[in-house]
Amino acid sequence: MSVATAKERPNTNTPRSVVVEGNEAAAIGVGLSRPDVVAVYPITPQSSLVEHISQMIADGRLNASLMNVEGEHAVLNGLQGVALAGGRTFTATSGPGIAFMFEPYVRTPGLRLPMVASLVTRDLLSPQCVWGGQQDAMVVREAGWIQMHCETVQEILDTTVMAYKIAEHRDVMLPVNVCHDGNYLSFGVTRVELPEQEQVDKFLGPAATNWHIALDPLRPMGVDPLTGGSGGPGARNFVRYRKGECRGMQNALRVISEVHAEWAERFGRSHAPLIEEYRLDDADYALVTIGGMTGAAKDAVDIARDQGEAVGLIKVKTFRPFPLEAMTKALAKVNRVGVVDRSVSFGWNSGPVYAETLGALYHTGKPIPAVSFIGGLAGADITAEHFARAIALTRDLKWQSGPREPVWLNEND
Amino acid sequence: MAKCFSTLQFHPERCDGCIECMTACAQAKAGTDDLRFSRIRILPSINGSGHELALCRQCADPVCVMNCPSGALTKNADTGVVDWAGDKCVDCLLCTAGCAYAGIVYEAEVGHVSKCDMCDGAPACVAACKNGALEHRTEARLFNGFAEKEDMFCPGLAACHGCNSELLIRHTMRMVGPDSVVAAPPGCIPGMGTVGYNGQTGAKVPIFHSLLTNTATMLAGVKMQYNRVGREVIAVALSGDGGTADAGFQSVSGAAERNDPILFICVDNEGYMNTGMQASGVTPYGSWSSTTPVGGAMQGKRTEAKNLPVIMTMHNCSYVATASPAFLEDYYAKLAKAIEVSKTGMAYLHVYTPCPTGWRFPSSMTTEVCRMQVRTNFVALWEYDPENGLRFTHKVDRPEPVSNYLKMIGKYRHLSEEQVAHIQRTVDDKIAYLDQLTKIETHAAASAH
Repeated sequence: MSVATAKERPNTNTPRSVVVEGNEAAAIGVGLSRPDVVAVYPITPQSSLVEHISQMIADGRLNASLMNVEGEHAVLNGLQGVALAGGRTFTATSGPGIAFMFEPYVRTPGLRLPMVASLVTRDLLSPQCVWGGQQDAMVVREAGWIQMHCETVQEILDTTVMAYKIAEHRDVMLPVNVCHDGNYLSFGVTRVELPEQEQVDKFLGPAATNWHIALDPLRPMGVDPLTGGSGGPGARNFVRYRKGECRGMQNALRVISEVHAEWAERFGRSHAPLIEEYRLDDADYALVTIGGMTGAAKDAVDIARDQGEAVGLIKVKTFRPFPLEAMTKALAKVNRVGVVDRSVSFGWNSGPVYAETLGALYHTGKPIPAVSFIGGLAGADITAEHFARAIALTRDLKWQSGPREPVWLNEND
Repeated sequence: MAKCFSTLQFHPERCDGCIECMTACAQAKAGTDDLRFSRIRILPSINGSGHELALCRQCADPVCVMNCPSGALTKNADTGVVDWAGDKCVDCLLCTAGCAYAGIVYEAEVGHVSKCDMCDGAPACVAACKNGALEHRTEARLFNGFAEKEDMFCPGLAACHGCNSELLIRHTMRMVGPDSVVAAPPGCIPGMGTVGYNGQTGAKVPIFHSLLTNTATMLAGVKMQYNRVGREVIAVALSGDGGTADAGFQSVSGAAERNDPILFICVDNEGYMNTGMQASGVTPYGSWSSTTPVGGAMQGKRTEAKNLPVIMTMHNCSYVATASPAFLEDYYAKLAKAIEVSKTGMAYLHVYTPCPTGWRFPSSMTTEVCRMQVRTNFVALWEYDPENGLRFTHKVDRPEPVSNYLKMIGKYRHLSEEQVAHIQRTVDDKIAYLDQLTKIETHAAASAH
């Protein structure tokens, strides 16, 4: 089976590479992971991802069943059924799609179903918009799904395959959202290297989705009976399940790192599993970024370094579970920090990654000046110039007790 | 469980006294038209109007057998017939003294006692009756077959007293059997403990507490995976009307459009009975419910119920039928079809299951209420498939006025005469509409003749 397209071309460095958009890179990663069932429903900017997979199935390049359903809600419901019957699943969604999916979405981690779904991040309504932003991912960050945010098209492909290994790890058994920025990464076209199918098969192994919970006449059980209530065993039963989910999340921090290390060993490409420290060791201050914006931010850091600024960068790849230990270690190296979000925490009057960075700062034992930057909402660009401004503002930060207003990077564009 | 047998049923209102049955019996048993040889007797009614039947009832605890001193009369354990053995009979006639039905009699011309032997299961009298006054009833086969199947739910489900839904799901899952996966969205069915509480389950089959909104799709996913790996599993939804007609409708409609191979059973108790009797989209006009209350400004539900089973036929899925727990023969026939159909396409069964608790009628009256729904045409029993279209399976020729049904139910207690008249009109219109649907000749039906 070959999941590559006609655009395949020879390359001297690697056996095979193709030039594709981010959505197609995800589709290739899905194909290599051999799901049993893919459920599809279109939504911008994700649509081309499921179109690519549908075509792979139609062409016979991917031996999966295609489930054409009537909405994102049904997408996840159908796939939960597949997983409970032992199948490996995939779907993709964005913004309002995940809002519609929310009811089965919040249930998936509690069922401990190791499903993988791309979240092609998009801003949420209203104002009505169809463009990139990470509001969707941030709104669902307490649903119990693992979230890994990609920076490059290659990372999308590689992380999609890795996601299955992480989700289906016996110590994890939780669903994974592989997030990539709508518009920028979804439609951004670059060359990617293709792993060999045989190598991926060895890396992933067979699907293991329902050893713990199943809808199977050979193993009859009541799946998800009512649990909880005061009195009787309900209260402690419920706690046991919730603690189990938390433990799975914490185990995922280790498993994500192990899987990324194994990937690097097998395929020769290394991606930072939890956070990436960029020019941080000798930095006086740093930016924190997440997702596709990081490329422009690194450029801005390089330019500032050339100008003598002691600035570094911390990229968050794994946002759920929150990599507290890694973040604490990284933040301890600097004296001022500016966090750039592509979404809003309405309750904190800041970006959500900023609010969580403050949580990690507590563990460093030293309160340092920090500021929230909000940019890139609804498809707006965060350019190297925007980042240069963020760098300058972070450099000049003074300690301030009490809340600080966020800086809206695109306010005057 | 005790065994039941087929029997002869007499409908006196259909009997015109032609006594063709007696002639047929005399011919069958003695090759003569001499009616003294007939073992069935039609007699003028004692009150002077109509006719009565004198015939052996093949009693379960027959007095004739007890009275017989020679062992000539025995109750056959396999057929249920009270057999008479001429070679053992001593002509004492004690048997005739014991029978209250004149079912075993002595005629001098015959020379010994004689009684009905059911003609080995094909009674000549029934075949001879042109008016349908005699029927060979075979419900017993259903009952006996039922007893051979395992109940897929544990004893002691916590349904309300007189609950129809529990009756229905136990019957249904006995027939579906253990190679199945059941989805039960929130409502009375999981509420009574089928899926379970705190780690204990009330079911012997794999059962899942689906969402109110996702039952059909989730089952379709289960089924899709088993189809991929080549295992035959019946995927069954036991859903209330809210999980089918309201919040669950998108899921049901999508599955029906895709003709997903599942068996979806809507257990329609006309509202959210489990959460406290709130109205749903299939709550009928005029019903009291806790969200369509009765007061000075509002007298129950102000809009009609949507006709969900008819809507389902518009999806062209493989099979759609309505059913009533008072007509279990009809239901079993449809269930058997639905189980078979669900291996390749979607089968949808809409079962009308009155709720004594929520509708406010005595729990002893559940089956009577079900029966009256059908007798008044408030509920119509029909089935549909895309090849043959829609047909009635139990047409009611002379329906009773719908008021006879409404007055049995507490939730209609407040209805004004105008409201009752309105309901009667909508019942009539609904039947007329269905009647038109039965007259559509599909291409498949047309090419068949």
